[in-house]
Formats: sequence, structure tokens, C-alpha cells
Amino acid sequence: MAVARRDLERERHAGEVVWVTIPFGAIALLLVPLAVGINQDVLSRIGTGMLFVVVMLFGVLTAIRRTNIETPPQRDAIALLGIDPVAEFTGKTVASAVVLLVFEIVMSAVAVALYGLDISGWWWMLIVMPLTATGLAELGTISGAITASVQAGPALVPLLVTPLAIPLLLGATQTVVNIDTDGGNLSWLVLMAIVVVTLAIVGVLTARPLQETR
Amino acid sequence: MTTRGRLAWLDVAAVMAVVGALVFALMSPRVESQGDSARMLFIHVPTIWLAYLAFAITFVASLTYLVTRKLKWDLVAGSSAEIGVVFTTVAIIGGMIWGKATWNVYWTWDARLTLTAVMLFVYIGYLALRRAIPDPVARARRSAVLGILGLVQLIPVHFSVTWWRTLHQTNTFRPRDIQMDGPILAALLASVAAFTIVYAALLRHRYQLAELELDAHRAATAAEGPVAGDAVSAPTIGST
Repeated sequence: MAVARRDLERERHAGEVVWVTIPFGAIALLLVPLAVGINQDVLSRIGTGMLFVVVMLFGVLTAIRRTNIETPPQRDAIALLGIDPVAEFTGKTVASAVVLLVFEIVMSAVAVALYGLDISGWWWMLIVMPLTATGLAELGTISGAITASVQAGPALVPLLVTPLAIPLLLGATQTVVNIDTDGGNLSWLVLMAIVVVTLAIVGVLTARPLQETR
Repeated sequence: MTTRGRLAWLDVAAVMAVVGALVFALMSPRVESQGDSARMLFIHVPTIWLAYLAFAITFVASLTYLVTRKLKWDLVAGSSAEIGVVFTTVAIIGGMIWGKATWNVYWTWDARLTLTAVMLFVYIGYLALRRAIPDPVARARRSAVLGILGLVQLIPVHFSVTWWRTLHQTNTFRPRDIQMDGPILAALLASVAAFTIVYAALLRHRYQLAELELDAHRAATAAEGPVAGDAVSAPTIGST
């Protein structure tokens, strides 16, 4: 938890997500109606999908935010302090998940306001948003560790994270879209949960070999 | 038998298998509903099977590398992924051509098609990562993690036609429910066998090339690397 607290503290001071990523995401949601037209029926139909596309693409930005990436002296300090790689993975994932959850909440409010989304089943979002945030955070942490110290790292992370995050995007969108279907959205939630658990297992098992190469 | 001898034997077997599969494919009966375009089956199914096989071998080799830490497994993983990307691309392009002939569209937002394209991008990312890391050990460990993660994507691709109602037909090979004429099935199996041998030959060649690349990298770094005592310069008399 100390690692998570430190990352969140760094983020609070830098304000990268609050001042850069969130406004950028809001602009993206604002751009969509300009591109596809301002027909309210169309916007409310595609709104949920657009919301999660923006969450996924901009979620990658939060994974490669400056406050999530360790500089070489910071990495040396972590190694010298003997911090368990699994604890480091967990801490960084928790911090990123919290940041992403804040991002998702703000983007959802913007999407509801701009696209007139139906919010009758809003409580499903209480499950969908934390699962999406956790999955994206796990992917971001793993990809961040894989590309640490690599010159092309920031350019590589989006390519690595985006295709692997597709099950999360599908799960999140379909859960919300299928709210009226009897149990139809439950299978999508199960898919999301499986992805989150699988990523957690991979992250925990590969934390040590990845830390050794940094 | 020497390595070169084994290599030549595998190459000859691959060529013979491809010729044999081609004969089977051309001799197979014409499917009335689809015409000759149905023969795309003999390319499309084997290429996607090889993509699965190649990525599954990348997964196994990545896992084995992380356990044994022997670089040869990383070379196998990287070589297999490269071949897998080529075969996935061929499978997608072949599928698009076949799709145009049967569905009248090159692309449809079908679960199998979309997830196969996503799978291709996962492994393009894997290859991009390998190119970005020059150090063989760091490259091996980091790409092994991605090689393991990639398999997560492979499972939904394969089962997509079962999980979702799709335009794409269900899996071709269902041992308990084979709905295919004998000669067509024989041609398909011959084609799958031929492509598998081609994969083995390509993997062998690519692995040998990867070994040579590794040797060249080691030689280059050994030549450039600092030598003990480099920092010490000989004292010069009379200098200030």
C-alpha cells in the first residue's frame, strides 16, 4: 500500500490526469458529435460505446503518465530497499486503478450530459467501472514494466495495451447495453472478471523476472 | 545426420507436401453452392491453424524460457511469433477474398474476423517490443511476459464462433460432427499437414537465423565493450 500511496501522492502533486488527461478525454467526447452529427437518437445509441472507447484509449495515457514511470534512480532505490516485486506490481496497479476510476467517473458524467445517456441502470456501473479500471491498470502496469528503460517505450505501450484491452471494452459496453436483457449482461461481467483475474495472475507471476531486467 | 542434412530433408519434405496438397486440392470435387471459391478452404483453414500453432508455441516457449532462463527458448518464441504473424495476415487476406466471393463483402464486423485482427495486432506489438530491446536477456524476459499474455487473446478467437452468433461458420474440425465429403476432408487434412511441415521448416530456418543474430550481437558487444583497465591511462612524463 505504501507504493500505491506514494504513486497517488505523486499524481496529486503533478496533477497530470486532472489537468491533462481528463480535459483531453472530455474534448474527445465533444468531438464525436461534430464528426457523426448531432442527432440525439444516434448520440444516445452510440454514447455508451464512445464513453468506453475514450476510457480505454485515454486509460492508456494514464498508464504511461509521468508519475507512474520510475526514473533509473527511483528504480535503483526500489531495488536497494528490497521492495517485493509483487508488492510493487500490486501497489502500482492499485494507484493506477484509483486514478482510472476518477477518470471514468468524470467521463461518464460528461457522456451523460453530452449524449443524453439513459441512466436508469446506473448501478451496474458500480461494478463495470471498477472492473474496467482494475483491468486497464493491470495491463498498464505490466506493459509499463515490460517497456521500462526502452527508448521507444511510451510509443510501444499503446500498441501493447489496446489490443489486449478489447475484452474489457466489449465486456463494459455490452454489460451496460444489455441491462434490459434477463441475465444477458451477466455473462459479459463474468468475461470482464475472468480477464481481470487472469491479468492479476500474470502480473504477480511475472513481477520478479520483469524487475530483474530493469 | 548433420544439421544441414536435417534441414535439407525438412525443406524437401515441405516442398513435396505442398505439391501433394495442391494435387488433392485441385482434384477435390467442386462445391455446387460456392463453386471453385470453396477451394479457398484449403488455404484459409491451414493458415489460421498454423497461426494458432505458432502462437501456442510462442506461449509454451515463453513459459519455458521464464522457467529455465535458456535463451534458445526465447529464440524459438520469437521465431514462431514471426511466422505466426505472417500466417495470420495470409489467413485474414485469404478470408477477405473468400468473404467477397461468398458474402459479397471483404469485411464484416463478425466476432471471429474482428478478434483475429486484434490477435494480429497483439503479436505485431510483441514483434515491435522485441525489436525495441537490443539486450538479448532483457528482450527475452520482457517479451516472454507478452508471449504468455498473448494466449489470453487466442482463446476468445478460437471460441468466438461458438460464444457469439456470427456470420462466420463454426469451427471446421469437430471430431464428433464431421459434415464434409470424404474427398474434401482428405484434401483439407493433406493441406493442413503440408502447411504444418512448411511451418516446421520455416521455424527451423528462422531459429538458425536468430542464433546467428545472437552470435553477431554478442561479437559486436564484446568488441565495443569496455576492457578491464580501460579507465587507467599510462602516465606521461613532463605533462602538466
